[in-house]
Amino acid sequence: MNSKKYNILIIEPSYIVAYGLSSLLEKSGESVAVGIINDMASYDNRKYVDADIIILNPSVLCELGTGVSTIPDSSGKPAIIAVYYGPYNERISKEYDICISIFDSPQTVSKKIKAALESSKNKRTEEKDRNELSEREKQILVAVAKGKTNKEIAYDFNISIFTVITHRKNISHKLGINSIAGLTVYAIMNKLIDPAEF
Amino acid sequence: MMNKNIVAFSSKMKMADMISAEPELILVLEHLDIRLGFGEDTVEDICDRYGLSPELFLCVCNIFTYGELIPNPDNLDISDIKGIIRYLRACHSFYIDDYFPELHGNIHKMMELCDKVSEKTLNKFFDDYENEIRKHFDYEENTVFPYVENLLEGKAGGRYNIKSFAKHHGNIEEKLNDFKNIIMKYLPESASSPVRFRVLEDVYKIEDDLTAHTIIEDKLLVPLVSAIEEGIYCKDRQHGGSDKKEGK
Repeated sequence: MNSKKYNILIIEPSYIVAYGLSSLLEKSGESVAVGIINDMASYDNRKYVDADIIILNPSVLCELGTGVSTIPDSSGKPAIIAVYYGPYNERISKEYDICISIFDSPQTVSKKIKAALESSKNKRTEEKDRNELSEREKQILVAVAKGKTNKEIAYDFNISIFTVITHRKNISHKLGINSIAGLTVYAIMNKLIDPAEF
Repeated sequence: MMNKNIVAFSSKMKMADMISAEPELILVLEHLDIRLGFGEDTVEDICDRYGLSPELFLCVCNIFTYGELIPNPDNLDISDIKGIIRYLRACHSFYIDDYFPELHGNIHKMMELCDKVSEKTLNKFFDDYENEIRKHFDYEENTVFPYVENLLEGKAGGRYNIKSFAKHHGNIEEKLNDFKNIIMKYLPESASSPVRFRVLEDVYKIEDDLTAHTIIEDKLLVPLVSAIEEGIYCKDRQHGGSDKKEGK
């Protein structure tokens, strides 16, 4: 085995463009499409943990009225590339690591993909293990399981409500459990709380 | 969805071929009490025999297979409402009479060797979930369905209207998803592994089924009933009844 191929996830509403891109990538021999989906609703970062790069049509985000920053990370923080059918929108394209046009030659596309990977590597370094709950998150989880409100938790830990909400989002995301009842079950089964306290 | 081959279901298709193409549809047959042993009969033949509209049957099958992608209520009309309610009622009794008792038994078996606290916690979680679902079903059985049936008979339905029903789905799906993750990821080691597999499979099955159930309510029932409501509200003064006569 020689060099590793880059895994690419394509999020593109047009089947023709998506499959065209995918076969182009395959031909280049440098990368391979690990997934093709046609809207953000089908995107689940936990399913595409191997994606090094996401190539996406900005219109899928425009539909939601959101930007790149709202795309949940997969564990490796993929590079994000916009694919345009027409002229670039200067303001929007700044959010991406790089933009490709459907009229770019295969060589240009593969050059741009490499450039995007380079630029995203810098971002990647600070990412640590994202899967285990941190000590802080465990404490907050216990408080949630005990039925405390966000306001009470913020007060107890001397943090802002906004921070509490972020912690709770991260906890739910890591565990795949959203309801308070479900979080309580988790906390008890993992001996984070003493059931006698109930 | 993109990688799935789309089979266009047709009422001329043999029922057996349809089921081999999409085995998840077995559950639809189960809900509708359609017996196996259909030989070479087509979907149409079987729908005829069971008094179902083939359009509605195919619509339900499409929802089961493709989710929200293809519910096409254009093929349906007001006369299908009774069929939709029949299907929804059948689902309810499937859950209450068969599914929940069985799952309860399995959860109990799965946790038998675990510590009492874990067992109790999980049981309570599931009981709460079940209660929520039952409440939702009761609301449909006691409020929504009678309201719709009255409408079909041309009786105006008081202040209630079907749009308020759509808001009622709440967090039932969220809880089930949590339950699934707990079973898959976080039970104590002492939980019985074979039963745990069974429970997980069953939860996945019910999850898809409930999703289909919700789509049928929101995308088929609600629009059709809204159409009658609007019809009644404009026609009230002229005829005082629905625009389509129902047998009896």
